[in-house]
Formats: sequence, C-alpha cells, structure tokens
Amino acid sequence: MESLLTTADDILRRAAWTTRAARVGPAVWRLGACLAAFALWYGAVMGAFRGLTGQEQWLRQMIYSAVKVPLLLCGAFVVGLPSFFVLSSIAGLRRDFGESVRALVAAQAGLAIMLAALSPLTIVWYASSTRYDQALAFNGVMFAAASLGAQYLLRQYYRPLISRNPRHRKLLVAWAGIYVLVAVQLAWLLRPFVGSPQQEVQFLRPEAWDNAYVKVAGIAWRALLGSP
Amino acid sequence: MHETLRRWFADVDRLLRGDATRPELLAREGGLRVDVQQLLYATTALCMIYGLCMGSFSLLKEVPENLAGVSPRLMQLVASTIKTPLLFLLTLLVTLPSLYVLNALVGSRLRLAGLFDLLVAALAVNAVVLASLGPIVAFFSLTTNSHPFIVLLNVAMFTVAGVLGLIFLLQTLHRLTSIDAVQAARNSPQQPKPDEAAAAPPDQTPSEPQQSAAEQDSTDGALDMPPGQALAGQTRLVFRCWIVLFALVGAQMSWVLRPFIGSPDKEFTWFRERQSNFFTGVLTALGRLLFGD
Repeated sequence: MESLLTTADDILRRAAWTTRAARVGPAVWRLGACLAAFALWYGAVMGAFRGLTGQEQWLRQMIYSAVKVPLLLCGAFVVGLPSFFVLSSIAGLRRDFGESVRALVAAQAGLAIMLAALSPLTIVWYASSTRYDQALAFNGVMFAAASLGAQYLLRQYYRPLISRNPRHRKLLVAWAGIYVLVAVQLAWLLRPFVGSPQQEVQFLRPEAWDNAYVKVAGIAWRALLGSP
Repeated sequence: MHETLRRWFADVDRLLRGDATRPELLAREGGLRVDVQQLLYATTALCMIYGLCMGSFSLLKEVPENLAGVSPRLMQLVASTIKTPLLFLLTLLVTLPSLYVLNALVGSRLRLAGLFDLLVAALAVNAVVLASLGPIVAFFSLTTNSHPFIVLLNVAMFTVAGVLGLIFLLQTLHRLTSIDAVQAARNSPQQPKPDEAAAAPPDQTPSEPQQSAAEQDSTDGALDMPPGQALAGQTRLVFRCWIVLFALVGAQMSWVLRPFIGSPDKEFTWFRERQSNFFTGVLTALGRLLFGD
C-alpha cells in the first residue's frame, strides 16, 4: 500500500524514473500497476450506487464496475498505440517513442489517481441523492475534472519532448483524437458503470453492440429536425 | 520466418523513419535505393492485415436465418483479406503508365524503374499507416452494428493513410529533384536543361540546394519538406494531377471490388453487380447513418 502511494506521489510530481528511467520495463510495469489499482478503486466506488441506494446485487455491480474502469483506460490506450507508433515514426520522432509512451502511461496513471482522489465526493453524492440520472451526470463531471488534471500532467510530462522538437505537440493532438475516438465507443460498449436500479445487474447490456456515434448523430438530428 | 519478416519490413522501417529518403543519402546513392520486391511483399502483408480488420465486421453480427452459418462470414473475412492488397496493386497498375508518359513528356529525369520504386515506396507508407489503423477499425467493426458507420469509418481511414502516403510521395520527389538539380549543375554548369533551370530556385546558385540538403537536420522525418522550392513546375503539376487520378481510380476500384465489409443481411458474394459509383455509395451511407434506412 505504501509502495503504491509512493508511486502515485512520484507520478504526480513527475519523478525522474517515470519517463527517464534507464530500465524501461520495470518503470512501465510500475506505472501500469498504479493505473490499474486506482482505476479499479474508482470503478468500485462508481458501482457502489446500488449499495448506497438500498438495491440488490450491489456487490456484483461494484465488482463489474471495478473491472470495467481499468479496461476502459487500458483498452483505449492499447487500441490506439499502433497508430501512434507509426505516426511517431513518420513524423521523425521514433527516437523519442519510448519516452512519449511512458509520458502517456504516466498521464493515464495520473488520471486514475485523480479519479481515486475524487471518489469520496462520489460517495457523498450517492449518499445525498438516489436519482440515477444525477449519479450518471455527477460521474461525468468527475471524469471531466480528472481528465483536465491529467491533461495538465501530460503537458508537464511532454514539456521536455516539445522543447526538443515542437512536432511532439502535433503528435499529441493526433493521439488525443485517436484516444477519444476509441474511448467513447469503448465506454459505450462497457456500460453500465453505475448500474440503473430499473435493470438487472449484468456485465454488458444486451444492446451493447451498437454505436455511440450513431446514437449521438441520431439524437442530434432528431433535436435539429424536431421529430420525436 | 523471423528472418523473412525482418527482410520484408527492413525497408518499410527505413522509409517510415525517413532514413531511406535523407537528401544526403539520395545524393550519395543517386536516387531512392529500396528493395522493391521486399517492399511489395511487406505492402501486401500490411494490406492483408487491414483487410482482415475490415472484414471482421460480419463476424459477431446476427444474420437472417436463411443466411445463417459460419462459412459466409469466414468467406467475407478471406475475401476482404485478399481484396485489399489487390485494390492498391491494381490501382497502381492502372495509373502508372499515364504517370510515366506524362512525366517523360515534361522532361523529368525519373526513369520507369525509378518512378516505380518511388510509387511502391509511397504505397508501402500508405499501407503501413493503414495497417496501424487496423486495430481501431477491428475494434469498431466488432462492437457496432451500424453498417453505414463502418463504411464511413473505413473511408476515413483510407483517406488518412492515402493523404500521408501521397505527402510522402511528393516530399520524396522534392528531395530527388533537388539532388538531380545539383548533379546536373555539376555536370554541365554552363548550359542547364530547361527542367533543371525550372527546378532550381531563381535566387540560388547551383550549389545551394546541396548545401541546404546537407544542413538539414538528420532527425527530420519522411514527410518533411526540403528547404527551397526544388520541384519543377511542370513535374509538380503532373504529379498533382496524377494524385487526383490515383485517388479517383482507387475510389472507383474499391467500388468495383466491393464488398470489402460485407453486410450481415446479404448473402456472401465475391463481387457485387455493376451499378452506381463510389461517391454515390458514400453519400448513401451518410444518408442512412443520419436519417436511418
């Protein structure tokens, strides 16, 4: 536990080992373990809604959500990594690829740490309101706040890379585009994270295999055209 | 196996890093030196990987009872894997003669072999970008039921890869022309040929492009524009026209070779009947995505 907290502290303070360690493997494993542990914690808290509102099957929902949040953060990262590698190479930044990836993993771990730090607020919210839609919205706000913090951390990690070659900034924008594209669909696929009281607890919803972007486009068109 | 793969991808890696197209190397070796055969193998393998990702759409979908069965889905996977490299190679085959003729007409010094090497290199860059986008396509293919969305996603991926491949082509051509201009100036400093004169910037002495090439940061990537305006006006125009032609032929070729994705509610077929065109198909998919069937 102490080691995990020390690692978290190192990540937030951008300790030298996080991106400039001579031995890359142990550093990445340490960052990955930290990411998984804190994401798992926030997932469990996210899934505690049923328990705090007196619903059945609350433990199963907590376990499912605890598994899903690390899956979301790691899955989007892994799916986007091959494109990032090729874009890095073609932009002439292959030499910095290892450091870039460690900066991205460290920022991901930072996101998980920030989510975990916000988890007490989520518990207080669940204890204050039994409305599912509000719980969803509150978690959205928590993710947005943690993402902002992680963005700040990522920029700090990237500063030496950008000062060495400003092209890293463009590559970071490309990475953000790829990551968000995949993460939105993955979050849609892995829902529910909170667990609606009206529905039975299940790992994936039966209608999981549809598309977040198609849904959003449909909603936007219906709103625009005024049809029900 | 490992050795074969290493041979196939050695030049792809050099192209991606920009090592094979560094101005000083192009000058020393007198042009782009790549093993075209190995590059073609690598390009085919990379396109097959993307084809596999593209064809995975039909794998986890519910199909009507009369079409049920594993084999049609697997056949679509096989068909997409075979057809994706075919799409690129046939497009190259169709457009290469016209490019060569036009290029020769405007007096470019690129011979057929040099031109072929350059285009295969650009195709390899295109294919490696496409293959790197494969996991994203596979992820969406397996997790979404919307056929029009997948069609448009694939069009977007092909566009991204195509644009990067063609930027590589133009930038490498700039570098080659810059080197050619220097060598021509060395050989006949008194009487430069018209194309060379157009290739050299008006305010530079003949030795300057070489200097700037040498000064170029050795860490620059494959898509970096060399300093100065090295490409002759006519050659530039020919290549730009060819890029438009390549894109149009490629788009229509993809339509002729369809289906690449395979609709789960339709019977498997290697080719569909000849009707409509690529652009109508994309607009129809967009309409279905926004307004429903």
